Amino acid sequence: MKKGFLVTLLISAGIIACQPASQAAKEESQKTVAKATAQNKAKKSSKEEKFRRALGAQDKWQQACSNPVQLAPEGIDVAQFIKEMKATIKYPADGKLVGDWKKGESLALLPKEYKALYGKKGGSKKGNCYACHCGDPRIIACGNIGPSLRGYGNKGIDPKLTYDRIYNSWSQVPCSTMFRFGYHGLLSPEEIADIVAYLHDPESPINK
Amino acid sequence: MKKSILASLLGGALFFANAEAPTPEQLKILKEMGVSPADVIVEEGRDYYHNLKGSTGKTCASCHGQDGANLVGAYAKMPRYYTDIGKVADVDLRIKACLEKYVGVSAKGKKGRKYIVPLAGYVATLSNEMPINIELEHPEEKRLYEYGKELWYKRVGARDFSCAICHDVLAGKRIRLQKLGAPVRDKLYAHWPAYRISKDKLWTMEDRIRGCYKSFFLFDPKKGKFDFKKNWVKKPPFYMEEIIALELYMKKAANGAKIEVPGLLR
Ligand code: HEC
Ligand code: HEC
Ligand code: HEC
Repeated sequence: MKKGFLVTLLISAGIIACQPASQAAKEESQKTVAKATAQNKAKKSSKEEKFRRALGAQDKWQQACSNPVQLAPEGIDVAQFIKEMKATIKYPADGKLVGDWKKGESLALLPKEYKALYGKKGGSKKGNCYACHCGDPRIIACGNIGPSLRGYGNKGIDPKLTYDRIYNSWSQVPCSTMFRFGYHGLLSPEEIADIVAYLHDPESPINK
Repeated sequence: MKKSILASLLGGALFFANAEAPTPEQLKILKEMGVSPADVIVEEGRDYYHNLKGSTGKTCASCHGQDGANLVGAYAKMPRYYTDIGKVADVDLRIKACLEKYVGVSAKGKKGRKYIVPLAGYVATLSNEMPINIELEHPEEKRLYEYGKELWYKRVGARDFSCAICHDVLAGKRIRLQKLGAPVRDKLYAHWPAYRISKDKLWTMEDRIRGCYKSFFLFDPKKGKFDFKKNWVKKPPFYMEEIIALELYMKKAANGAKIEVPGLLR
């Protein structure tokens, strides 16, 4: 059945393909060719400049990790690297490293994941944890790049270590694939504390 | 018109009923039958090649021969340096230059892509079954190759990504449900340009690279740290040297692989 449908589909697609595409193109091409104005050129070059500026915004640690193995290169002082990364970590003003797990969940999940679970608006592009990790067993479309976070809160890990890892993973694993959420300002200290709660709270779907 | 019919055919019961993308079985059926929706787009390119005229009155065929006679095997050696334009060009940029310079058709922006992509698909098929053979003879080709290699490994942006992180280190793993391929190690260039079934579009390698850069969260440092609204630099503009450099790096790595295009991908 399926195959039959497929055949008709492809045949009809083939027939359609026989109409000359040039016909549609003709009108377009008959219009005079607009020479690229100086303005247009300037616009393009500024886009290129912007992209180059963005590529140039590499910090010295990223530079150190930009080698074929993508790890801290040989000969580098790893202890110093870690020390420098630790020094970048900022904590919430009120000193609370464990926030509200429900807010944390909404930061960890994409809007479409949140909607699928709760049928309402929520979620964020900022965390994107499930691109690399599994955790909440209800989310099946999860990556296997980092370890599963299922039951993470039951392992007796110090929440401060979790906080530091999310703020700046390179303070624990130099050049890790897990990006430095706090360091880059993708997540604020308060938001990171909420995600720490999402990982540690016994009521969180990560641990239930 | 044609394309939207194809889209609705593909978008109907068959592919998008429950899942976002076709199953591997569906892909296999298409491949086994030796036909793919991409052929429709290549056919469109072939038609432009012979019939599209601009202000010079010439068609591609006027200079490069009926049925692409003089372009057989050209794609296997691209990107390469061209003296008439004084730079290294990939298939996209080369066709853009010919359209504007020799045919006399404006090929800027999205409108340009409408011609360039099908033409690139057609030109690439003229090298089918031939081995990729990037030679790096001209100094500019060597320079860009080295630059491409540097970019491949370059960790940058608010996500600390590089091409190599996803396509060397994590190759074989899954980002969500998407399996990460190894374009360099596995010579995947051999199936580009490729038809993306999930998008119902033919993509050249330029489209692919621009798409991958979007995941980097590159940002303009003039406006501080990364901010989705303020300074996200999503993609390099088309035809930029950086794109061509990465192509040269990946395609050189694929030397010897037999070209089989258009590829058929998720
Ligand atoms: C790009 C992939 C990626 C993303 C996105 C990512 N991680 Fe990770 N994560 C990793 C990897 C890889 C590791 C393994 C250790 C390492 O290399 O740093 C890891 C380790 C961890 C660990 C330690 C696990 C353990 O068992 O010790 C925690 C906790 C963690 N990630 C939480 C998160 C949270 C929360 C998010 C979302 C805000 C997130 N990760 C997003 C890749 C990622
Ligand atoms: C007036 C003649 C002319 C027309 C018309 C023309 N081109 Fe070209 N094309 C050239 C020249 C000159 C070169 C550069 C050849 C070289 O340096 O080897 C070239 C190079 C190319 C190449 C690279 C060939 C190689 O060996 O690497 C491709 C592909 C190509 N053209 C495609 C097209 C397409 C597609 C069109 C129609 C949109 C077109 N050209 C129209 C003159 C033309
Ligand atoms: C965050 C991970 C990630 C990064 C970083 C990344 N890509 Fe990709 N890339 C992907 C994914 C996922 C796919 C497959 C997409 C799909 O299946 O729809 C892909 C596909 C590709 C392919 C096609 C592979 C094939 O099957 O033929 C090429 C080539 C490629 N990427 C090149 C690059 C280049 C060059 C860079 C650096 C500028 C880069 N990628 C950076 C995730 C990434």
